[in-house]
Amino acid sequence: MLARDAENLFWAGRYLERAEDTARLLDVTYHGLLEANVAEQRAAWLSALEAVGLSEAFAATDRQVTAANVSEFLVRDSENPGSIVSAVEAARENVRTVRESLSTECWEAINSFCLSMRSRNLEIEIEQQPHELYGFIRRQCQTVAGVASETLARDDGWRFLRLGWNLERAEWTCRLLRVRQVHLEAPGFHEWVGTLRSASALEAYRRTSRGSMDPADVIEFLLLSDSFPRSVFFAIRSAETSLRELCAGDEPSQPLRLVGRLRAELEFADPRELLSGDFEGELIGIERAIRGVCTAVGVQYFINIHDVDLHMLQLFPGAGVE
Amino acid sequence: MASDLFSEYDTEGFFDEVFEATGAPRPHYAGLLKRLSYFSAEELARRERRRDAAFRNQGITFTVYGEDEGIERTFPMDLMPRVITAAEWAHIEAGLEQRVTVLNQFLDDLYVGERAAIRDGVIPWWVVTSSDGFSREAFGIPMPRGARCLVAGIDLVRDGEGTYRVLEDNLRSPSGISYVVENRVAMTRLLPQMFTDTPVRPVDHYGRSLLGALNRVAPAAGGDDPTVVVLTPGVFNSAYFEHVFLAAHMGVELVEGRDLVVDDQVVYMRTTKGLKRVDVIYRRIDDAFLDPVVFRADSSLGVPGLMSAARVGSVTIVNAVGNGVADDKAVYAYVPELIRYYSGEEPILPNVETYLLWDPDQRAAVLDRLDQLVIKPVAEAGGYGITIGPAASEQDLEKCRRDILSDPRNWIAQEVVSLSRHPTLIGDHAEGRHVDLRPFVLTSDVVEVIPGGLTRVAMKKGSLVVNSSQGGGSKDTWVLARTRDELEADVVASSVNVESGSTEVSA
Repeated sequence: MLARDAENLFWAGRYLERAEDTARLLDVTYHGLLEANVAEQRAAWLSALEAVGLSEAFAATDRQVTAANVSEFLVRDSENPGSIVSAVEAARENVRTVRESLSTECWEAINSFCLSMRSRNLEIEIEQQPHELYGFIRRQCQTVAGVASETLARDDGWRFLRLGWNLERAEWTCRLLRVRQVHLEAPGFHEWVGTLRSASALEAYRRTSRGSMDPADVIEFLLLSDSFPRSVFFAIRSAETSLRELCAGDEPSQPLRLVGRLRAELEFADPRELLSGDFEGELIGIERAIRGVCTAVGVQYFINIHDVDLHMLQLFPGAGVE
Repeated sequence: MASDLFSEYDTEGFFDEVFEATGAPRPHYAGLLKRLSYFSAEELARRERRRDAAFRNQGITFTVYGEDEGIERTFPMDLMPRVITAAEWAHIEAGLEQRVTVLNQFLDDLYVGERAAIRDGVIPWWVVTSSDGFSREAFGIPMPRGARCLVAGIDLVRDGEGTYRVLEDNLRSPSGISYVVENRVAMTRLLPQMFTDTPVRPVDHYGRSLLGALNRVAPAAGGDDPTVVVLTPGVFNSAYFEHVFLAAHMGVELVEGRDLVVDDQVVYMRTTKGLKRVDVIYRRIDDAFLDPVVFRADSSLGVPGLMSAARVGSVTIVNAVGNGVADDKAVYAYVPELIRYYSGEEPILPNVETYLLWDPDQRAAVLDRLDQLVIKPVAEAGGYGITIGPAASEQDLEKCRRDILSDPRNWIAQEVVSLSRHPTLIGDHAEGRHVDLRPFVLTSDVVEVIPGGLTRVAMKKGSLVVNSSQGGGSKDTWVLARTRDELEADVVASSVNVESGSTEVSA
């Protein structure tokens, strides 16, 4: 398929996952804090900003860390490229340029999601009915995922869409864990419930853990579960499947090699060993590895270094490319 | 009858598509009017809202330039379709086939032939070379089967007597076919009952027909399964939806200039698996932006080296470069003569009476009665730059006069055609609005006219300008397969000729 189309689908997947994750995190943070005091609230919102990787961007706006300001920033601030509104608009724009390779239903699902975000009064909803708003966003993202899954052919376009989706998810879950692992020493039941909820993992976790809220068990579940689709391992394994299919029959590509190594590392990791060592360092290492896979995907499939070379040489004979 | 919608309806002396001058409905609208009468105005308004939501959610939009950096707008489709009888259509189809065949012959004669029409004085050489659409770069570029305008959109109007006339030819990148197909889809969903008594010919095979035609003009190197792509300027182009539509309906890649690369006079596209050879490019980019090496050097939309690949015949560019010369509005005035010259036949579809302003006598006559004529720039499309004399202010006319005098070759004058009108839903009732018709014609080894076309409606009361960029709307356009009478006549005829048993054809 066209390299540009592949890149657009990859990013559409990432943006949709980002919108959904952010909505869920906001929902959990907001509702988990209704009974908390001001200091706890501030800490929780700072932690939420860190989980989405936007603490510095928020600090740069000179706004106070309050529920209203952070929600505003993460939902409807179009200046913030990481806000839900920006992510949904970007997903639509990416998909709009590859519409011909998607199903009409899939495009319609994304387009009407975006149009209804534009027509809603987000300012009022953030204040008055945040749960409905975040639920709406989550359902819309899941609708797109469902429609895509039920109407798209399993071709390279599908693989790039899922690849972006899963790499974003793996990175996000990993970052969520890194932010929350400070609670490792002082086990707080409610924090861990909130963390699980942020990943839609609470019920699935309960069924496997039989009531334990041991931080080590929660972390093992979110990081290494081989049955829960939002765990880091599961998302990485799905990304590996996409990459393996993308180079069917050929030599393993560089991104496949990288993602395969990461998957093996997670698959055979010993959770006790992980937690007893420098766990934060481990998580940082995993995040870095995921970003490395993304870069390798770009180099392998989107940039087409070889073609640029050829193109440049033809246009400007004698000119080389670094 | 639909008393509510039509109780106040007045044809006001115009040729009306639905009602005769006496006020009686034309027979081919009878079924439709009956079905329409079952709906209350409120119910129709509800369906209009459903229509708007559907078009918005599907993103069937075009972009209007100049207002707030490009707004995506829907192209409003009136719920009352336009109906064309089988007999009328046969006439239109024959006229279009004749005209487009000749225009292709003229272009091929001009760019790769012996320029016979010029040699024989049918059209002056200077008129050809002074056209903005004339392209020296097109000389010698071969076009398989001479299908230089593989896709043509011919704008037809009906005058006060109901005669179909050609208003202009669009031989570069005529747009609108996506609305033809999408309007039909919307109509079958919004008002399926309307189709009950009326046998309508389908239009959704356009993608297959177009791909077939494009395959047939592929260079030999393309083999049995040539690679066809649609080339778009990108997502910000006003017709982007149509580009997506075309690629999707043909099942081919929609590429931008940056996706293509020319190496050793062969065109490739950049894919995730490296370079892939391209054989046919259906481009929706103007000539001037196609290839910065040959045309505008500042264009980033095109593909460097594309023209050299086309010149050696390793890729086919559709429509061909340089077609603009044949849809120049001054050259238009010569088309009837070109038809007589190339085909030896009389034109089936007449032109609108047109005056050429470099001719001193014609110019003087036109300037004398500027307020009664339509003045058009020769090279513009989309309804831009037109002055309609009877509706223009003194200042407009004065500016128009100065424009003509400073560059007579750049303008033509035409008699005002009293465009036919069609009832159109306005609020809770129907009002007459002027309409035109743009059928689409595909040429490869055969000529195929898609039954129907885009009926454009001037939504503003009294307005004659139907272009979408000027706030026009559209109508689903129904070409009847056969009228019921004809069908019954056939049944009667076949029951006479054929043994019993095979005659049970239900009407």
